[in-house]
Amino acid sequence: MRWLLIRHEIILLAILVVALIGLGFFNDRFLTLDNLLNQGRLMTEIGLIALPMTFVIITGGIDLSVGAIVGLCAILLGYSWKNWGFPLPVAVVFALGVGTLAGAVNGLVITRLKAPPLIVTIATLALYRGLAEGISKAHSVRGYPESFYWLGQGEALGVPTQLWVLGACMLVAGVALDRTSFGRTLYAMGSNEMAARFSALSVDRTKLIVYALSGLMSGLSAYVLVSRVTTTRSDMGLGYELDVVAAVVLGGASIFGGSGSIWGTAIGLAMIQLLKNGLALTGVKGDATIVVIGVVLIASVLIASSLERRRE
Amino acid sequence: MSALALTAPRRAPLMRRFASQEAMLAVAVIGLAVIVGFVNPRFLSTNNLADILLGNAYVAVAAVGMSMVIVSGNIDISVGALIGVLATVSGSLAVAGYPIGLAWGAPLLLGVAVMALQGAVVAYVGIPSIVVTLGMLSILKGGLISVTGGRWITDLPDNFHLADIELIGVVPMPVAIMVVATGLAAAWMRWWPGGRAIYATGGNAEAARLSGVSPKRTIVLVFALHGFFAGVAALLFATQLRVIQSTAPAGLELKIITAAVVGGVSILGGAGTVIGATLAAILIAEITSALVFVNISPYWTDAVQGALILATVIADILRRRRRLRVA
Amino acid sequence: MKKLLLATAALAALALGSAGARAAQWDGGDDLPTNPLACGTGANPAPAAKAYDGGQPTNPANKAGKEITVVDVPKLIGIGYFNATSKGIQDAAKELGSVKASTDGPTEAKIDEQIKFIDNYITRGVDGILFAANDPVAIAPVLKKALGKGIHVVGYDANSTPDAREWFVNQAQFNGIAKAMVDNMAKEIGEDSAFAIVTSTFTTPNQARWIAEMHAYADKCHPKLQWLETVEAQEDNVLSFNQATTLINKHGDKLKGLFGMTSVATPASAEAVTKAKLCGKVAVVGLATPNAMKPYVNTGCVKSVVLWNPVDLGYAAAEVLRAVVDGKLKPGATEVEAGKLGKLQVVNGSEILLGAPYIFDKENIGKFDF
Repeated sequence: MRWLLIRHEIILLAILVVALIGLGFFNDRFLTLDNLLNQGRLMTEIGLIALPMTFVIITGGIDLSVGAIVGLCAILLGYSWKNWGFPLPVAVVFALGVGTLAGAVNGLVITRLKAPPLIVTIATLALYRGLAEGISKAHSVRGYPESFYWLGQGEALGVPTQLWVLGACMLVAGVALDRTSFGRTLYAMGSNEMAARFSALSVDRTKLIVYALSGLMSGLSAYVLVSRVTTTRSDMGLGYELDVVAAVVLGGASIFGGSGSIWGTAIGLAMIQLLKNGLALTGVKGDATIVVIGVVLIASVLIASSLERRRE
Repeated sequence: MSALALTAPRRAPLMRRFASQEAMLAVAVIGLAVIVGFVNPRFLSTNNLADILLGNAYVAVAAVGMSMVIVSGNIDISVGALIGVLATVSGSLAVAGYPIGLAWGAPLLLGVAVMALQGAVVAYVGIPSIVVTLGMLSILKGGLISVTGGRWITDLPDNFHLADIELIGVVPMPVAIMVVATGLAAAWMRWWPGGRAIYATGGNAEAARLSGVSPKRTIVLVFALHGFFAGVAALLFATQLRVIQSTAPAGLELKIITAAVVGGVSILGGAGTVIGATLAAILIAEITSALVFVNISPYWTDAVQGALILATVIADILRRRRRLRVA
Repeated sequence: MKKLLLATAALAALALGSAGARAAQWDGGDDLPTNPLACGTGANPAPAAKAYDGGQPTNPANKAGKEITVVDVPKLIGIGYFNATSKGIQDAAKELGSVKASTDGPTEAKIDEQIKFIDNYITRGVDGILFAANDPVAIAPVLKKALGKGIHVVGYDANSTPDAREWFVNQAQFNGIAKAMVDNMAKEIGEDSAFAIVTSTFTTPNQARWIAEMHAYADKCHPKLQWLETVEAQEDNVLSFNQATTLINKHGDKLKGLFGMTSVATPASAEAVTKAKLCGKVAVVGLATPNAMKPYVNTGCVKSVVLWNPVDLGYAAAEVLRAVVDGKLKPGATEVEAGKLGKLQVVNGSEILLGAPYIFDKENIGKFDF
């Protein structure tokens, strides 16, 4: 099973390299270190969520409420700091906790009620977004201390701070998926859940964990976002879920479960971000860029899956 | 008994199951109206009830098509953008002076074509529907703005407005269309082999194929039908106001999917009805209106709506599980 | 049994929701102080002169008199209002002859997307950025980055924090718009009536400020005017229509006037009033672009549409940017020469005022095409 995945990622990587070279050819500002690092900074919020989403999709599920959880955590971060007087570090931990809780609620409903994840997360999407709006009463929270902005706007050793965080999380997630029994359980669940249950794998507990993780990373993403834009808004994270799913699916994960990898997701993530950036730098306007992204998404999956099929 | 009959829902439990699903939604619709009527009697005025139906008929019609797609085991997230495109096409034709029949007919044909294409890619190329429709969403959304430059359509001729036409002197056209569309779709899925094949495809594609149903053809057919309903919904959407926005309405596909899902279609495929989808669309519209009538703080309306949707979804799942255990 | 539980839960949700019932006062607007103008045609106190508080680019290239490339990043593209401002910018560019301007932006009013657009243009290396911010604070870091790279930054329509841009072209003061809207409404529906407001979202800063100022002005000068409620309807035509219709049905005869706060909400509200056959009985006053309102103004359903001229706004923004690059507009100036618009005043330190709100009505609306 694993070698098939590696093949898909290699194909994707090839497409990415070709695209990069092409775009770099048209625009000399594209392949500069400055620009690439900046893009890394900008793709962190989606990237952080794409990691647990890979887990979720491998198990054959999906989580569409991530964007709403980002909004909720962002609001609670600001609200608890400003209105409830939490010290800022406590507010951050609180926000992460709320995110985890929100994800765990998803997981509980999915495992206890055996509810389809798509349906549950569509419903919680509406609920969490509504909660964010209600709690914040549409007010923003601003005026954070300068030290707070280091995560979103600062650098360490010349690399944007949040990119270090993303890299570290990617490493942990990749290792967990490839080398631990947890990862193997995910693949087993995705390939055949019934068989996984019969093999005494703790399917329900694993599901709960991945959805909780999804919520946790959404909270972390919110923290990075608030730090980057220095304010909180209840509409933060709007539409993130589709961007995340696009990255994961582009990276080779099958929506039916059973396949996918962190490395693939990373390539998918980079491809979408760099394509958008490269096209913009070349002078393609925003509306045309989304058309290209849509075409690339379909085309890449098409190419990769037909190449795989030919090999079989 | 043919294998098809085995995979398609059986008669007696079917009636009971349908009755229970629609019944719950119908009870919710009526019950909510009564409750809100107590708080603010103006909610029950014919004007208001009619407006709720009229203003949201397009969601119901689109949800009918979406239900069929979901029952077949697929999903479509491009429908919101498609409706935006079709509405703009319709309006542009009308403004350019083409006969009204063409302005009304073109979106239907175009909708069928675009969706059938997606269906073909899903069925024959084997790419999961979520990927195809996610890509198509971007293409349609960006394409619409590119072509229109963001300009709204504002000089629509008077006879463009479907919503002004009244059938039998009392029933406005959009409501009539909603009822007819739902009825036809429900009947087709229940009694025509083509329709029942959708359940088979969604339930177990392999078994369906073995029993002579072609899942691939069925999927293309389902998407094509979905495109037709999306076209009708686009017409209803476009003809409501005197101006047509040239951007895809944000969040529309989520609204439609929610209506289909609350209506009881099983995302695992193989079960669910379109009548439920229509009732669910009506219920959601009713909730939106009710929240204004009962003076819920405007900041909390979305949260309450989300909670109600979650509650409905959970209740439906519990009900379905109870049924499975009993049967 | 489960159905009963569900019904009870729904009831409880509704009850709880009602507990969070509407506040008697509009509490949006981010708590900034309101500053209502004098009632009627009374003289307004001249605003205190404020020192220049804008940001400055670091080592900008000297392009005085030379051609510059400018990008315009509005809140979103695809709505009539920003199509108009874009047209104004193009008009100025053509007239000046030395400005190459393009408009590019997100397809939804999301601040995150807008930041990415601006960031890309910074990397591309433009000479000037014109913007209308989705969020004043969130956009500041990326604008400051632009200033740091020597790019000139001028805002219009929706401001950022002052230190993130050099100048901001303000279409009209918040309190001026509020005064125009409320006075027009009071004129149509009388002093002792009730109105409701349809807006886009509560988180849009401009809308929130306008509404806050409208409340303050109404309390001060039209105390008998009663505010019923405010609903939000995103930038969705049909949703705005539905919300307006719901308001009409809910309040019945009590509702005498509807305010539309955006170029999406106002035509939709007018349509709702038309559909309910209440033209003449329910007044619609709002901010909107003329094209969308022509059908309603021409039938007499809507008497007046308040706006400024967004084409002029875009035009002024482009002229200001050119003046800044040419060194003709420096910090501390009190006025600026803006092509066909003549001299525009500098207020509030680093804001340039376009002028008084413009009222579109049956007489003049035919002259405009945006």
